[in-house]
Amino acid sequence: MSAQSENQTEQLYPVSLEQHHKVSCFLAYEYRLLDEECFDDWLALMHEDVHYWMPGIENRRRENLLEHGFYAGDHMAYFDDSLRDLGRRVARFKQPSAWAENPGTRNVHQVSNIEVYYGETDGEYVVHSVFQSVRSRGLDEEYVIYGRRKDVLVQQGGSFKIKKRLILIPSATLSCKNINTFL
Amino acid sequence: MSNIIKTIDVTDSLENLKDVCDIENGRIAGKIFYDQAIYEQELEKIFARCWLFVAHESQIPDTGDYITTTMGEDEVIVIRQKDGGIKVFLNACPHRGNKVCFAESGTTRGFICNYHGWSFNVQGNLVGQHESGIYEASDFDKAKWGLKEVAQVDSWKGLVFATFDPEAPTLQEYLGPMTWYLDALFDNQEGGTEFVGGCIRSTYECNWKIAAENFVGDILHAGWTHDSAARAMLGGSVAKVSDFDESYSVNWNGHGYEFALDTVGNVAVLGESALNKYLHTIKPSVAERLGEFRSNMIGAVSSCTLFPNFSFLAGQNTVRVWQPRGPNKIELFTWVVVNKSAPQEIKEKWRKGAMMTFSPTGVFEMDDGENWEYCTKTAKGRVTAAQDLYIGLGMNTLQRDTSLPGNVYKGQLNEANARAYYQQWFDHLSTKRWSELPDRNIGKKEAE
Repeated sequence: MSAQSENQTEQLYPVSLEQHHKVSCFLAYEYRLLDEECFDDWLALMHEDVHYWMPGIENRRRENLLEHGFYAGDHMAYFDDSLRDLGRRVARFKQPSAWAENPGTRNVHQVSNIEVYYGETDGEYVVHSVFQSVRSRGLDEEYVIYGRRKDVLVQQGGSFKIKKRLILIPSATLSCKNINTFL
Repeated sequence: MSNIIKTIDVTDSLENLKDVCDIENGRIAGKIFYDQAIYEQELEKIFARCWLFVAHESQIPDTGDYITTTMGEDEVIVIRQKDGGIKVFLNACPHRGNKVCFAESGTTRGFICNYHGWSFNVQGNLVGQHESGIYEASDFDKAKWGLKEVAQVDSWKGLVFATFDPEAPTLQEYLGPMTWYLDALFDNQEGGTEFVGGCIRSTYECNWKIAAENFVGDILHAGWTHDSAARAMLGGSVAKVSDFDESYSVNWNGHGYEFALDTVGNVAVLGESALNKYLHTIKPSVAERLGEFRSNMIGAVSSCTLFPNFSFLAGQNTVRVWQPRGPNKIELFTWVVVNKSAPQEIKEKWRKGAMMTFSPTGVFEMDDGENWEYCTKTAKGRVTAAQDLYIGLGMNTLQRDTSLPGNVYKGQLNEANARAYYQQWFDHLSTKRWSELPDRNIGKKEAE
């Protein structure tokens, strides 16, 4: 995955144990909101300038790498969303005519390998994590997506807003038909 | 030239195909979506014979630029030559068959097999091997052992197609008058089109024909299947197609394009007013270039499939190939196409708009996937697989007095294109070579 990681030489300052705990709890809470289909509450965790980005992964040789190795900012993506775009996705989930969501999809989102560092400005945090998303539909459909994330969180009151999210999966071919959830 | 592929031996056709595909009587059966024996026939009689989409010219602009893809289940390399031409090779070393290129795209001076070091240049010639001396001692003739080259490669307005079959008709003949309609998206501005970088690949547990048929002529599903997505993107339901005064289903050789003439019905679902505005801005110049009729098609409610598995939506600008991976599995390759001359911010809005609507995370595509997978999976049952499926809408809609080219049918809420598609499928599976294929076209070969 070395071709995908950025800022390897960047000096990172880890936060206190207490702050690390707060961020961990926030990420767990965010995922429980998704599992419980509380999409409006989930959307409320987004910063107004959020960039929610999951680039497509391209299987390229080491001598032919892209801007960021296996992905590039101007190439095709799964998500490359602003708050308006995320709102539109949530709006579809809530339509009674979202036929493919009834019966619903049963979700379990898990987050681990959490590293929390001070960000560029006061009250900003850079958070690295690893996630696992398990979806089950119908009687026997099951889809698992693993990946790595890099978030920028902004402290707001006693909680956080998600200002940036970069989602990287290892797969160049998605092994399922869709991603009808957030990661 | 000695490395050009000769077509494979074709086995006998299956008996009783008419039990599962009887277009005269407007019926098919689910068995065609699930049966392994039928699938094996498709690989040799359709995917080893027909012209298949392999690349857009803009993906490989310079010498040594390549992409890898598949023709049916055969892996191929598509690579730009020094003379500006394009060659397509089997992505398999002629020594033990190992894959020689593992990347999906890049630039190279050649390919070296990881197994025994056989090395090929951009033209596919074998230029060296590990321990080359021992080959000389075996009277080895290097010239005979280059990468195997696909029989025919040609392109239409940037779209590159290839066929394994040296007996296949020319690309121009294969596409026929469909090219007149393709130009509405692929040649509506000077400079033509280009693909946005990247390719999103996903996996469906569905038969490849279900998806291809959806694009060949099924706008009927849109108002129902995609109601939730339309409400999310537009705040209301999709355009009611039955309200359009004028719309068509046109087909030729199994290809099909269904369209209205509302200019921006498709692009509107991307929810980006700048894109509607862009199409309205270029429309007068399109009318000058292609005539007024086709200037109404540039982003209209429409869809198209070129037989067997290449599809696109003008307006959403999604381009895709439904790659067969067994009777009940596909890999979907998707790209985004834009006018080369469009402003950068317009290209960017199309890149994101296609993602928001027609991609694995697209709000429209999510509801398609469920439908296609279960149209396939129900055919697992022997009794279900044999039941009649209705495909008879618009039986009496053929337009005999029209100046439009192709086999023209009135109205896009019509299964005429789907029938023509399955008829072509039936004809390929019933014949061993191109010369035996019946010509069922009844319309004009060229626009008047």
